[in-house]
Amino acid sequence: MKKTIILGVGNPILGDDGVGVHVAEELKKHIRKPGVTIDSAFTGGMNLLDLMVDHDRAILIDAVKLKNKKLGDVGLFGLGELSAFHTCNPHDVSLPQAVDLAKKLGNNRIPHDIKIVGINIGELNCEFGEELSSEIEKAIPKAVELVKKEIESNG
Amino acid sequence: MKTITIDPITRLEGHGKISIFLNKDGNVDNAYLQIPELRGFERFAQGRRAEDMPQITSRICGVCPVAHHFAATKALDDAFNVKPTSTAKKLRELMYCGYYIYDHILHFYYLGGPDFIVGPDAPAAKRNVLGVIEKAGVEVGKEVIKHRAYGQKITGILGGKATHPVCGLPGGVSKGLNKDEVKDIEKMVKSCIDFAKFSLKLFDDIVLKNKDYVSLIKSGAYQLKTYNMGLVDDKNKVNFYDGKIRVTNQEGKEHIKFDVKDYYNKISEHVEEWSYMKFPYLKDIGWKGLIDGKNSGIYRVGPLGRLNSAEGMATPLADKEYKRMFETLGGRPVNSTLAFHWARLIELLYATERAYELINDKEITSDKIRNPVGEPGEGIGVVEAARGTLIHHYKLDKKGLIAKANLIVATTNNAGAITMSVRDAAKGVISKGKVDDGILNKVEMAFRAYDPCFACATHTLSGGMPLQVDIYDNRKNLCKTYKRVGE
Repeated sequence: MKKTIILGVGNPILGDDGVGVHVAEELKKHIRKPGVTIDSAFTGGMNLLDLMVDHDRAILIDAVKLKNKKLGDVGLFGLGELSAFHTCNPHDVSLPQAVDLAKKLGNNRIPHDIKIVGINIGELNCEFGEELSSEIEKAIPKAVELVKKEIESNG
Repeated sequence: MKTITIDPITRLEGHGKISIFLNKDGNVDNAYLQIPELRGFERFAQGRRAEDMPQITSRICGVCPVAHHFAATKALDDAFNVKPTSTAKKLRELMYCGYYIYDHILHFYYLGGPDFIVGPDAPAAKRNVLGVIEKAGVEVGKEVIKHRAYGQKITGILGGKATHPVCGLPGGVSKGLNKDEVKDIEKMVKSCIDFAKFSLKLFDDIVLKNKDYVSLIKSGAYQLKTYNMGLVDDKNKVNFYDGKIRVTNQEGKEHIKFDVKDYYNKISEHVEEWSYMKFPYLKDIGWKGLIDGKNSGIYRVGPLGRLNSAEGMATPLADKEYKRMFETLGGRPVNSTLAFHWARLIELLYATERAYELINDKEITSDKIRNPVGEPGEGIGVVEAARGTLIHHYKLDKKGLIAKANLIVATTNNAGAITMSVRDAAKGVISKGKVDDGILNKVEMAFRAYDPCFACATHTLSGGMPLQVDIYDNRKNLCKTYKRVGE
């Protein structure tokens, strides 16, 4: 059986940045399927890759910054298709880099299929808080649908 | 000096920004570093249950969750008037060693090391961990991955979760170790000791045997004569988890040594209008601007700050390496910012040796892992995060809820020093208006050596260090922008 991991990525105490975690929580109510694990990851780069090993497929849900899109717009992307995440953590490598590295070192336990469901949050308001803004809150059902569709259409 | 005001909007872009101002000859007049700061933590913390702070604060930053976790736990020990049991203290410190092992390995091989192992002038596309592996070999790459994972695993076994621990409680920890876990950890730690030795040998072979690198380390552009700060044990040896805060001066002599409870009498924070970052300084010396020397209260923390402010390492192999570093670089203190990398590897060796001592301690499997707590009050906790001294300070109300919270994080302690290092490197490497990627990398190296962590959004899918460098001419017109959003 194909093993899938769905990870809500983001910081749950940093407002809209944590939207991926909110989506993952919501998904737990909608998807109960053998072989599918839903979890949250408050981390990036190498640590994120560690959570994905030994799965055939990974779907990451994350807050992103998309040009020429409205706040709360949701899209499905391949790894490396997104360049403008709001990241300001200098102490890690990027996920694409971590994946390249693992492949180069002959690690065959990483998922061959990695997709990202990105929710456009625009500029990050650098203020602590657990609440989402209303535009981003409204994006949760859209992101949930997109993940469900992805799971159904690709086994 | 020219007065330069930078639009505050640019501070909110979520990445580091260096503005370099050239004079009419094209040499550097001044340079400023701005990094984003998260706001409103005090308000966010108010009214929350104090015992939730170790979990909440470990989310502040994707880089130092373990350090925040224990600074918070130690502040709670103090706030609830309780000391952890001897076993709990050892378990915490052992876990802390695991954190240092993975954190220091990550920095040396992935972030700072590429500048040396691949070369400071190598094309940007090669200056990364893949470039390191190309140069050092795939087998070395596998060892790097393996031992970073060991550090994570040790932290995970003790902390309940690898990245965001859940074990710290006022008065102790929530989970002890069984004999099988001890065996597992001992095996991993043994291997980590060998890997730390190997890493120091690699640094010797690639960096210290290369005259150009040694002269780069010693060059004026990377020197800074500040005070140095770090935690020490009762013999003035480096300690990551506990002890007194010791500050040494430009001659390597003790300036002050104090208990963290006294921090607000010893440290003040200066505010600059162009930065959200606060600039801590020694209160008795005072703020004299962004200058180094004995009359300026700016100090450095982190690996080099710690080694400079101590008198040795508490384990034999690391202590030998400590002495060798100071002998090679002309005695204590070492003022070269690039020596942070060497200091980091010596600390890696210490972390592995100390972990070995702790895992073989007969008390480590005891089930006495928690003492009962007292009445809630006020508490202050300190640890050495991998990148420097980290202080948490809480005031609790009678119900044990947070009434007030104040944090001084490691990178903030280094704010003055990092800003000066970037400015001085820019002055040292840019002349006659010539700026290219290699030259800018040498400016970034001054910054990267500190392994700074910006309070940050943790979902670093794109990772790397997002940095923008703006170059202004003598009329303050922006003439060039270099952008690097992740890698």
